[in-house]
Amino acid sequence: MKGYEIFRKTIEELKLSPMFGNPGSTEIPILRGVGDYVLTLHDSISVGMADGLAQYSGRPTIANLHTLPGVANSMSFIHTARLNHSPIIVTSGQQDSRHAFYEPLLWHDLQSLVGNAVKYFYEVKNGEDIERVMKRAYSISMEPPAGPVFVSFPMDVVDQDAEYRNLPYSVPNTELIDHGAVEKVLQLIMQASNPALIAGAEVDQFNANEELEKFASILGIPVYTEPLSNRAGFNSESMQNAGDLPPATTAINLALIKHDLILNFGGEFTLYPYLPSPLLPGKKVVTVTMTPSYRFGEYITGNPKLFLMELNKSAEKKGDFVKSPDNSLTNLIARERRVMGASYLLQKARKEFSGHVIVDEAISSSLLVRKHMGYSPRSYFTAKSGQLGWGMPAAAGISLKVPRVLEIVGDGSIIYTIQTLWTISNYNLPVKILVLDNGGYTILKSFSASFYPGLEKAPYLTFSNNILKIAESFGVESREADPDLNELKWLSQGDSPKLLVAKVPKTIPKLFI
Amino acid sequence: MKVLILLPPFLPVTEISKIINQILPDSEIVTDINFGSKNSEVLVATTFTLIGKEIIDRLPNLKFIQIASTGYDNVDLIALKERGIKLSNIPTANKESVAEHVLAMVLSQLKNLMHFHNEIVKGNWPFLTNSMELMGKTFGIIGMGAIGRKLAERLLFFGTDTIYYDIVKLSEEEEEILGVRYAGLDEIFSRSDIISVHVPLTDENDRFISKKRFDMMKDGSIFVNTSRGELVDEDALINAVKSKGIRACIDVYSTEPPDPDSELFKLDNAIFSPHIAGVTIESQQRFITETVANVLKYVQGLQPLYGVLP
Repeated sequence: MKGYEIFRKTIEELKLSPMFGNPGSTEIPILRGVGDYVLTLHDSISVGMADGLAQYSGRPTIANLHTLPGVANSMSFIHTARLNHSPIIVTSGQQDSRHAFYEPLLWHDLQSLVGNAVKYFYEVKNGEDIERVMKRAYSISMEPPAGPVFVSFPMDVVDQDAEYRNLPYSVPNTELIDHGAVEKVLQLIMQASNPALIAGAEVDQFNANEELEKFASILGIPVYTEPLSNRAGFNSESMQNAGDLPPATTAINLALIKHDLILNFGGEFTLYPYLPSPLLPGKKVVTVTMTPSYRFGEYITGNPKLFLMELNKSAEKKGDFVKSPDNSLTNLIARERRVMGASYLLQKARKEFSGHVIVDEAISSSLLVRKHMGYSPRSYFTAKSGQLGWGMPAAAGISLKVPRVLEIVGDGSIIYTIQTLWTISNYNLPVKILVLDNGGYTILKSFSASFYPGLEKAPYLTFSNNILKIAESFGVESREADPDLNELKWLSQGDSPKLLVAKVPKTIPKLFI
Repeated sequence: MKVLILLPPFLPVTEISKIINQILPDSEIVTDINFGSKNSEVLVATTFTLIGKEIIDRLPNLKFIQIASTGYDNVDLIALKERGIKLSNIPTANKESVAEHVLAMVLSQLKNLMHFHNEIVKGNWPFLTNSMELMGKTFGIIGMGAIGRKLAERLLFFGTDTIYYDIVKLSEEEEEILGVRYAGLDEIFSRSDIISVHVPLTDENDRFISKKRFDMMKDGSIFVNTSRGELVDEDALINAVKSKGIRACIDVYSTEPPDPDSELFKLDNAIFSPHIAGVTIESQQRFITETVANVLKYVQGLQPLYGVLP
C-alpha cells in the first residue's frame, strides 16, 4: 500500500472528514488519498473552518496547508486554535526529502515556523510513520488542553510502500475529579462572607453549563463570565448571570470588589490593556479546570462538569442574588432606532435568529452582541486570541454540522478573510452574515480616545468598502438594511448563504477605562 | 509610584479606602492637611481643599495633581508652574447632570411650576395659566462642548428648533445627528425663545452677555446660565428681567455665594440654584471613575487626559 493510501485509510478510520485546505504542488501527492476536500481560497481560512467545526463538534478536525507559505499564512489561526482549545490536526506538504539538503523552492524547517503554537510536531520520515503518527496526533490533539498538532508529509514519503496495520489509538480520558477538593471548596464557600463564581469557556467545552447554573441557583450567588470568553460559559438568561468581566485588572477588581471568595470554573483572566492595579489583591481565588495555567490563585485539576455534579450534592443556600432587570432597554432601543444603532439592530436580529449559533467578530460591538443576542450552551463562539478574520471561516466550519449559523461581523474584520465567501457560496453553506458597518476600526478609535487622544481621528482608522458588491462577486446574495430592518427576515429565511450590511453609526463608544 | 489622596473628612473615607486598596494598594489616604512631608509623586484632591504653596512644598517629589472635579480654582497654579507640576481636572463627568438641570429649570419656567406651587401652598387653586410647551420653541445653545451636546441630544425628543453657536462649528454629520443648526450670536440672541450658556470662562468672554445682548432678546424669553457667573453682566440681566420680562434660570453668580440682598433675588420671574447643576449622586460616581482612570494613566506612564497644566 502506498503512503497516500495509508493516509486515506487512517483519516477514514479517525473520521477526519472533510479536510479543509488550499493546496500547492507539495500537497498534490498526498491529496490523492483525500476524498472529501473543502477548498478555501486562502490557507488560513482552512484552519479557521477546522477550528469552528472542532469547537462545535468537540472532535478533532483536519486542515492541510501548502508547506512554508501556507503554514506562514495560517500562523495566527493556529495560534487562535491553541487558545480556543480546538483539536485540529494541521497537516502540510513538504519538499521531496531527497533534495531537502539543497533547501529547494518552498522548503523550510516547518517545526521552527510553527514553534510552540502546536502541542506536537512530526515530519514523517517514511511510509511506516503515516498511520502511527496520525493516530498519535489525533490523541494528543484531544489531550487537555485540546489544541492544534502538526504533521508534515515530504512529497516522496507518501509514495513509499508500507502496511496499514490497524494500530490501536486512544481518546484521552477527561473524566477526572479530585474528590478531596470538593469538600475543601464547600468549606471555603461556607467560610466566605460573599462568594462569587466565574464561568469560563471550559464549562461549555465540557458541557457543564447546566451543572454550573444549578450550583449558582442553589447557592444564590452571582456568576460572572471570564473576560473575553470565546464560548458561552453560562446562560445569559439565568437569574444568576452577573454579566461579563472586563479584561483589565482595575476593572476586574472593581467588578468583584464586594466578593472575598472567587470560584472560577474553567476560565482565564485574559488581560488587556495593561493597567497598573495588581489583580484581585487580598481575594481568595480558586480555579477548577482541566488545564491549569498556574498563573493566579489556587488550582484544582479536574473536569468542571464532574466537579460541579459533586458540589451540587452538598451545596446549600449562601446568598439571595438575582440579576436586576434591565429597565432601560426599551428606552435604549427606541433611541437607537432613529440612527439604526447596534442595540436596535441586534434586538431585532435576536427575534429573527432565535436558536442560531452566533459567531461573533464585531469587536467594538461584541459586548452588545452578547448583551442583545444572548448566549447559551454551544451557541456562541469567538476567537480567544483577538485576531481578525477568524469569524467567517469558523462560521462556515460550524455550518457543516448545524444549519442555523449567524455570523455578526464588523466591516473591518470581514475583509481579512473575505474570500471565505467563495467557499460558502461554492459549497452552498447555510451561513447568514450580518455586517455592522461603522466605516473603520472603531475599536482602535475607542482605544485611542482613551489612551492617546486625538489619534482616533487618524485617517488610517477610517475606510469604506462596498461589501455588497464584493459579496455578489463571490456569488453570495446580499442586501443593505433599511431603517425598518425588514431585510433581517429575508436574511433569516432559507438555507442558502446570505449577507446583510447594516450601516450603523460611526460614533466612538467608550470601551476602555 | 506613591499616590497621596487628600480627602475632606466628611467623605466616606473607609468605603473609599476599600476601593482604592483594590486599585492602587500603595496609595495613602489622608484627611488632615497637616499631613507632614511625603514622598508622593501624585496628589489626588477635591475642590474642598485649598492646594496652596504650603501643601505643594511638603511634597518634594510631586509631579502630578489630579483634581477630582471640573473646577480647580482651589489650586495655586503659579506654584505648580514654578515646580513644573502637571495638573488635570475632570471636565466631562457632570455633563448629563447639567443638561438635565437646564431642562428642569426651563420646564419649570414654561410650566409656571414655581407660581403654581406657591399658590397652592397659600391655599389658592388657580384656574388660569399661561403655561407653554417646549415643543416648537427655538432653543439657542451657546457653547457646543460636552454639556451643550448632551443638552442638544435631549432637546431632540422635545421637538425644538435648536440653534447653536461655538467658536468651532460641528461637522455636518454631527449637526445632523444632534439635529442642530449653526447660527451667529446675533441670531441666537434675537431669535431664541430660550438661551442656555455652556462656555468656559476666559479673559476674552468676561461679561460678554451684556446689555447689548439682553436688548436683542425677545420679550419674555428664557435665559439660563449654569456655566460661570462672570460671563454675564448681572446688572444688565436684572434690568432685562424687569424691563423685558426675561425669565432667568441662574445656577452661577459673579460672586459665590452671592449677596442675599442682591436685586437678583427680588425678581419674580427667576429661578435660582446654588451652583449645583452638575452635582448628582451619579455625577459624583463618574467623577470618581474618571479620576481613577486618569491617575492610572499617569502611573502607567501615559499622558493623563484633561491637562490644565499638561
